[in-house]
Amino acid sequence: MAPLIEARDLTKKYGAHVALDRANLNVEAGRIVGLIGPNGAGKTSALRAILGLTHYEGHLTVLGREPFRDRTALMNDCCFIADVAVLPSWLRVDQAIEFVAGVHPRFRRDRATAFLAKTQISGKRRMRELSKGMKTQVHLALTMAIDAKLLVLDEPTLGLDILARRAFYDALVNDYMDETRTILITTHQVEEVENLLTDIIFIDKGRIVLDTSLEDVATRFAAVAVKADRLDAARAEKPFYERQILGKVVLYFESVDAGKLAAFGELHTPSVSDLFVAKLSGGAA
Amino acid sequence: MNTNTWLIRREFWENRAIWMIPAVFGALLILAALFGQVSIPKLTSPLEMHEAAGAFQVIVGVMFFVVMSVYSTWYLLDCLYADRKDRSILFWKSLPISDAKTVLSKLLVGMVLVPLVYFAAADATALIAAFILSIRARASIGSALWQPDVWWQIQVLWVYSIVTTALWYLPIAGWLMLVSAWAKRAVMLWAVLPPLVLYILERVFFGTHIIGNVFARRMAGWPWAAFNGANHVWTEGSGVVDNNGVPVTVWHLINPSGFFTSAETWIGAAVGIALIVAAIQLRIRRTEI
Repeated sequence: MAPLIEARDLTKKYGAHVALDRANLNVEAGRIVGLIGPNGAGKTSALRAILGLTHYEGHLTVLGREPFRDRTALMNDCCFIADVAVLPSWLRVDQAIEFVAGVHPRFRRDRATAFLAKTQISGKRRMRELSKGMKTQVHLALTMAIDAKLLVLDEPTLGLDILARRAFYDALVNDYMDETRTILITTHQVEEVENLLTDIIFIDKGRIVLDTSLEDVATRFAAVAVKADRLDAARAEKPFYERQILGKVVLYFESVDAGKLAAFGELHTPSVSDLFVAKLSGGAA
Repeated sequence: MNTNTWLIRREFWENRAIWMIPAVFGALLILAALFGQVSIPKLTSPLEMHEAAGAFQVIVGVMFFVVMSVYSTWYLLDCLYADRKDRSILFWKSLPISDAKTVLSKLLVGMVLVPLVYFAAADATALIAAFILSIRARASIGSALWQPDVWWQIQVLWVYSIVTTALWYLPIAGWLMLVSAWAKRAVMLWAVLPPLVLYILERVFFGTHIIGNVFARRMAGWPWAAFNGANHVWTEGSGVVDNNGVPVTVWHLINPSGFFTSAETWIGAAVGIALIVAAIQLRIRRTEI
């Protein structure tokens, strides 16, 4: 099966500034993919291109379509939440449901109302009267009621407190996700999403630094808390990152035989956040 | 209901001023009719009554038209800017609605539906105010302000005005929408500044006023382009008559054959369409500010 999102040499320039520099990425159906990078790394530019909101250079197909040319048709099968604060302040909750039901062929009104019924939000309220957490729930209700193949979330929980964040991701995983759907999330807060992702894509300075599934992370990457007397031997295996914690030196390796590494010290699979720091602090070793 | 109908409902949800301003303005005029000073000369002949009824309705209509011009200008200037400013464009663009449909729905609201609302409000206001005045000044006018045949003629005038203003002011609407889709801030300034600069540059460097004249004609020239004002004179005893002494009706006043065959009308409309196409292209490319 062809990938749901396929980008080859995707480039986006703003004047002299290159936001995306010949980025390649693949997103397969049924995955939850985290597009992770520091601020200004090109995450939002990549998403804008994928959603057809901006012009770009290079090859890009999403659900078999060219997003910029076919945005309208693409939005039948793809929906996105770009920061939940963007619901128009004058819109009433019931109007929002009515409108989306009216214009979106795949919107299931009963699902949206059932989701909202679990909250304390009345249909007569305007968005400006709702707290940010409540707006999130309205936006989620609208989005999850759409039978979309691809859901794109751009820093969806920015500015939310911990309770609202947790509720957001719980609803996403429990009520929404199934094998027919694909979710692409951007965030710079890795800890928050690392437990729900199946794939990670690291992006830095407009380039894709890493594109892998979490299953592969375990076989491909290893972190070793190296014993002091083995340090020189371990360093000879070319770790890509080195870090000192509590007097211990941890070396990060990519594609080095685990049996060989076990001799240097305690071996474990790095967490997504550790891997992120290690990869992006690149060249430290 | 299809997408277009929903887009139009959306505009009425967002811009409640579309009906609130005419409602408040109408209420003020009705209050004036209720409590203002009434000094109406006694109307005697059927002809005078006829003309008074027509004049009354037109005056009310013109007042609404002036308010509407200000509102429509503001509406068109704001309609592609407001949702970029508050980033809600990201919500609208997550729905399967083309940018062309969005822009055209706003154009339709600004150029046709807002005028329809205002003229309906003008009619309702005139009717209520006429009823009040006919009671307050029953000695002098009685039911003179209610002349059904005049009322129908005025409706023709309104419909004709909506159609002709929509065509005549299309380039201005297109320009306002282009600025609205483009500007990062200060839409009003950007709407006024470029034409003003062109006008000044032409004056300074060429000493001519061609651009200024074109702008002035487009802004203020609609009544001359759309109506047949010539040779109508007031005569004692028979009211406003044409050259042949025939009393003037709405059919004499409107000039569709002149308006719809004039190159000026269609050149303007073509410029308007070009500007709107440009506004749609900007809408596709520009998201947030």
